Amino acid sequence: MSSNPLPSNTSRLGGCTLTGALSVTTSVSDSISIVHGPKGCSHHNFSLLHTIALENNRLNLPSVYSSGLLESEIIFGGEAALERAIAACASSSPKCIFVLSTCVAETIGDDVFSVCSMDWGVPVIPVPTAGFLGGAFQNGVLNALSTLSDGVSPGSPDGTVNIIGEKNLEFEVEENYTEVLRLLSALGLSVNLRFIHQISYDEIPQLARASFNVLRDKEVVPLGDHLKARFGMPYLESFPVGLAGTLRFLEMAADTCGVSYHAAVQDERAVQEELLADFSDLSGARIVLPPDGVSAGDGAVIREVVTALGMKIADSGLCVPMPLSPPVGTSGIRRMLHRWRRMIRA
Amino acid sequence: MMKQIALYGKGGIGKSTTSANLSAALSFKGLNVLQIGCDPKRDSTRMLMHGSFIPTVMDLVRERGDTAVGLEDVVYTGFNGVRCVEAGGPEPGVGCAGRGIIATFQLLEKFGALSGDVIVYDVLGDVVCGGFAMPMREGYAQEIYLVTSGELMSLYAANNICKAIRRLSQRKKSTCRLAGVICNAKNQPREEELVGEFARRVNSALVQFIPHDRVVQLAELHKQTVIEYAPDSAQAERYRTLASKVMENVTFTIPTPLEIDELESLALEYL
Repeated sequence: MSSNPLPSNTSRLGGCTLTGALSVTTSVSDSISIVHGPKGCSHHNFSLLHTIALENNRLNLPSVYSSGLLESEIIFGGEAALERAIAACASSSPKCIFVLSTCVAETIGDDVFSVCSMDWGVPVIPVPTAGFLGGAFQNGVLNALSTLSDGVSPGSPDGTVNIIGEKNLEFEVEENYTEVLRLLSALGLSVNLRFIHQISYDEIPQLARASFNVLRDKEVVPLGDHLKARFGMPYLESFPVGLAGTLRFLEMAADTCGVSYHAAVQDERAVQEELLADFSDLSGARIVLPPDGVSAGDGAVIREVVTALGMKIADSGLCVPMPLSPPVGTSGIRRMLHRWRRMIRA
Repeated sequence: MMKQIALYGKGGIGKSTTSANLSAALSFKGLNVLQIGCDPKRDSTRMLMHGSFIPTVMDLVRERGDTAVGLEDVVYTGFNGVRCVEAGGPEPGVGCAGRGIIATFQLLEKFGALSGDVIVYDVLGDVVCGGFAMPMREGYAQEIYLVTSGELMSLYAANNICKAIRRLSQRKKSTCRLAGVICNAKNQPREEELVGEFARRVNSALVQFIPHDRVVQLAELHKQTVIEYAPDSAQAERYRTLASKVMENVTFTIPTPLEIDELESLALEYL
């Protein structure tokens, strides 16, 4: 449970395990995710997923199906309702079906695993997601990712890179991926698999082929360790953050697969100098950080950028918008500075 | 004013036998009595119904859905006009029986079934979850009777129920109180003294001692309450006395449950 009940904490850092897991499973494009619970549990998640999909120009509806538990199922048991839901979904021949449990299904003790293990003609994969068991959004993400990775057999590394645990619900998910791809390409590296972002079920076994993993951020480290233990894959624990951090990312990625980074770092330094020159008009501007604070990671990036541009952090005055998670790479900083400039000039 | 009482106690201690005989005895006082069995085992009212298992509220809801169930489907008139309801519940091993009790009560409320002079709630072994405390909530049973023998495990269960009553009685507007202890004896030595002392220690009183009597088994084998099967027996008279005491009782307390070592040393004192 969150020990700090302030709204800013619970709303930013809490979240429901179910939502986290759905953000992963619905990103397997040819699957259906069954939410085994009352309709409301799937409805607001569906709305959220749909909104994010539209924002990222994906027009297909999220593939979410509810077992639609009502009071009678709570009293008499919900396993039959789950069987009906799986049968209905299986009849449309998806590549696989995910079954995500909810608080009330776990409370009354429905045996979701045993229902899923029946012969349904398609893989039916249970993901434990009852929110009341203490986890939050990120636990749901990790539960879903590790459940999916557990079905993958070891392979032989081919020099490529996996992207692990992208934040599928962040508006900039594609921009952030593109930035990492740009940096890896500068080192001559290519991406093997986005695990899991808009891939098909048949692509999942490719996970084992890559030589190393780039995790979205430190919250994914438990999975990074798990994959390291299973497939012997080293990992970088976060997408690049900050000016110096982006250069360091290039060095670490290059070291991990034994290629040279000097040219790439030199080029990126030039890109960053160009960035600072583009925003030199902000020199001397005074900004205020948002009143609900910034995370430690954010704070370091903000101070680095403010210092590099000759800006000042003040106690009162103009409050600039801050991204929910630290800006990714040099391009992320550019987008953030664009927003600051609009605010400062407005 | 309608009197609502609930009997709680360890499984197998004789709550249903006591409830059915109490209801029967109350009905002979000219009272309109409703007995509600709150146990998925559904056998609370069987002796009042001459051995037949009446359809339970939850069975009917499961088969037809709650909109297709009416008052006449769930209330059955048994011996001497005692109205009988069985809550029922899910199949053993699935679902949530506690929620079933809550749903039953909501349905009975909707039907206006909770009427008459006396309602007797016969509730399963222990207050295992919030659902089985439903009869103790505001608007239902104000008077809780504990049914126990002098055996330690039975007293232990009764003591646990005291904890539930104390907890619920602290809620705002709660009218739920401990009304007394009924000793359904196993004919152990000094059993009446022991249960009487237990009742005193939990801040209550022994309202009726019911000795073990073969006539109870004989009545059951004939699918009747003792009141019906052997109305002139001493046992029937004890149930009638219990009925009178229940109607006259005005001493309702907030119980003071014992610690386990107190309970054990109490039992040792009356060996």
